[in-house]
Amino acid sequence: MLYKISVPQVADVEEIRVLEWHREAGEAVEKGDLLVELETHKAIVEVRAGQKGYLRKILAESGNWQAIGLPLAVLSEGENDPVPEDAQALTDLPVDFEIT
Amino acid sequence: MTDQSPTAKLRMMKLIRAFEEALAARPDHGFQLISSGEEAVAVGLCSSLRPQDQLLTGGRSIGPAIARGVDPSRLMAELLGRSSGTNKGKGGRGHISDPASGFFGAHAVVGGNITIAAGVALALQMSGKEAVAVILFGDGAFGAGALHETLNIAASMKLPLLFVCNNNQLSVSTPRSMALAPARLSDIGIAFGIPSETVDGMDLDAVSAAISGALEHVRAKKGPAFVECISYRFASHSTTARETRSREQLTEIRARCPIVKQSGKLREAGALDDASEQELDRLVAGAVEAALKFADASPMPREEEALQDVI
Amino acid sequence: MSSKPAVAMKKMFFREAIALAVREEMRANPDILILGQDVGPFGGSYREFDGLFEEFGAQRVRDMPVAEAAMVGVGVGAAAAGLRPIVSITYMDFMMLGFDPLINYGAKLRYKTGGQLTAPVVVKTTAGAKGQGVAHSQCIEAWLMSVPGLRVVAAATPADAYGLMKTALRSDGPVVYVDHKRLFPVAGEVPVGGDAVPFGSAKICRPGSDLTITTHSFMVRTALEAAKLLEKDGVSAEVIDLRSLAPLDMKTIVESVGRTGRLLTLEEGQITTGVGAEVVTRVIEHLGPVQFTRVGALPAPISSNRILEAACLPDANRVAAAARLLQSPKKLVSSY
Repeated sequence: MLYKISVPQVADVEEIRVLEWHREAGEAVEKGDLLVELETHKAIVEVRAGQKGYLRKILAESGNWQAIGLPLAVLSEGENDPVPEDAQALTDLPVDFEIT
Repeated sequence: MTDQSPTAKLRMMKLIRAFEEALAARPDHGFQLISSGEEAVAVGLCSSLRPQDQLLTGGRSIGPAIARGVDPSRLMAELLGRSSGTNKGKGGRGHISDPASGFFGAHAVVGGNITIAAGVALALQMSGKEAVAVILFGDGAFGAGALHETLNIAASMKLPLLFVCNNNQLSVSTPRSMALAPARLSDIGIAFGIPSETVDGMDLDAVSAAISGALEHVRAKKGPAFVECISYRFASHSTTARETRSREQLTEIRARCPIVKQSGKLREAGALDDASEQELDRLVAGAVEAALKFADASPMPREEEALQDVI
Repeated sequence: MSSKPAVAMKKMFFREAIALAVREEMRANPDILILGQDVGPFGGSYREFDGLFEEFGAQRVRDMPVAEAAMVGVGVGAAAAGLRPIVSITYMDFMMLGFDPLINYGAKLRYKTGGQLTAPVVVKTTAGAKGQGVAHSQCIEAWLMSVPGLRVVAAATPADAYGLMKTALRSDGPVVYVDHKRLFPVAGEVPVGGDAVPFGSAKICRPGSDLTITTHSFMVRTALEAAKLLEKDGVSAEVIDLRSLAPLDMKTIVESVGRTGRLLTLEEGQITTGVGAEVVTRVIEHLGPVQFTRVGALPAPISSNRILEAACLPDANRVAAAARLLQSPKKLVSSY
């Protein structure tokens, strides 16, 4: 099964800057792993995986911007599941995000 | 003032008295605040200042400006609205300014120059210069929030700022006791940890001594200091304000003249006699006459100047 | 051949544009310092001074007690004595406490001293309603436009937040620099190292032909939204971002209304003696009678109540509705 991570809905934020990816494409992730840090106009948002899987494709690199609700990356349960072109239609991966 | 001999200080007080009386006698005197009776405060303060120090005052600015060394001719020109005045005729008494002489400026809003003075002190502090800023204000400004805010900030930031409160005990018609809760205004220093003192503002030497002591503290970068001078003004608050005291009260008040007191002191010490005092009076009269002559020979501003120096 | 550093376009948050401009100017000019609440280690209430305390230290980035009258006075006095302070007032509502030193002393200083002294101070303040209630929501820039000796600017984009701050910090007199709570989440391209935005320079941010909308600060975004709605109805709105309120760029405004024939002024503040009232009056003085209407907040204090705040503030729908009415020949009255 394929998933996407989207930019979380943070109150009063329109777009974010991707600060730093803590995982690379191809890596396995566990539940609770820190995937990426995002920057809003106020604070840093830590996005952590809500379940295990494989990070397959990063759609917004560090230093780039992305709007709320749009996808940041594609993940899959199986290591070799084929990755589609369009990520928008995918289900959102459960994530925990923490504003620091 | 560069010459701080007792005779020079007496002459300076006489100059202030004669200058202001000559001004008030003019039909075109305008809206003036006269400091007759308060000369010891102005001269006691200014004789302790150094050339680089900056003095800021409220609206009763003429005496302090003269004491600080502002050219009496350019001062008279400003007071009479001439474009040769210190402020090109645009400020008048309420805003006399001559930073080159160490008279940063008067400001006519009661208490309005106090926060400004703290800013000047901050600039001096950050420049590393030895100079200090001095804010002279009356008991009328003592109730203003600006004073209390500035005491706090000056103490907290250890600003090189000397607060001098000329308490002439009347704010137009309101006696100090009716307007202000503290009996001793300098007690406010206690709240902010600022060394403070109250002295007789009619005694030139007492004022000088208190100011010198306070300045030592401020120049040593220990933070601000506060000196309250108790004085009496001999005339009403301004040239438009009605006098509130009786003739008997005024007679008693004018008997406390600081000029007469200083003159008496110098005579007793053998430093002054009839001849030398007459000479002082002659020099003073000459300076006042020269100031009036300069002002009268100067043009008023042209109408177009109304839109110059706005921004 | 002069070597001017290259201009690099960089996308950043509104607050970062302010911090960058201030940082660059502080590096170039040791006389610039910041006074305000929470400007030091906290980096500013909106993080608009992020990193400056770390770089420049406590001497140049100073946290002050809550005492706006004294804080503005100290800033103005320090400016008169040779420094270049930024006085940060977190809520524009509280500028009122500093009006005496800013207006009675700072704005009048050059004039009253016959040109001997001037106070190059930047009072930076955040306007606008965002759920914080009647005393934390006001836009009072119109009150300041008429003060001789005072300049007033308001950026609507990160690029202009950067460019106007540079201009403000190089000015020779007092400047009120107004930003807005609802602009801080905005990101945009900033010409880093580019020219400062001069005083008296408005910008046509959306060309159009059927009417001219003049506006400033956050309402520029509202105007652009309204313009999109109007486009669907076949109405082409030209949107002018004023950027500078004192002085106003009448050349750009008059040229625009001369073409479109219709003027809608939009502000978040009150329309009574508002920015729009001044724009309309001057346009008519230049062009003669034109079709015009003014849109602004309803004449009520702006409550923190979500429903009431939204009812009072202009939004894209209200602006578009007013613009549509402007297209008809009926006589219009602005809502007071």
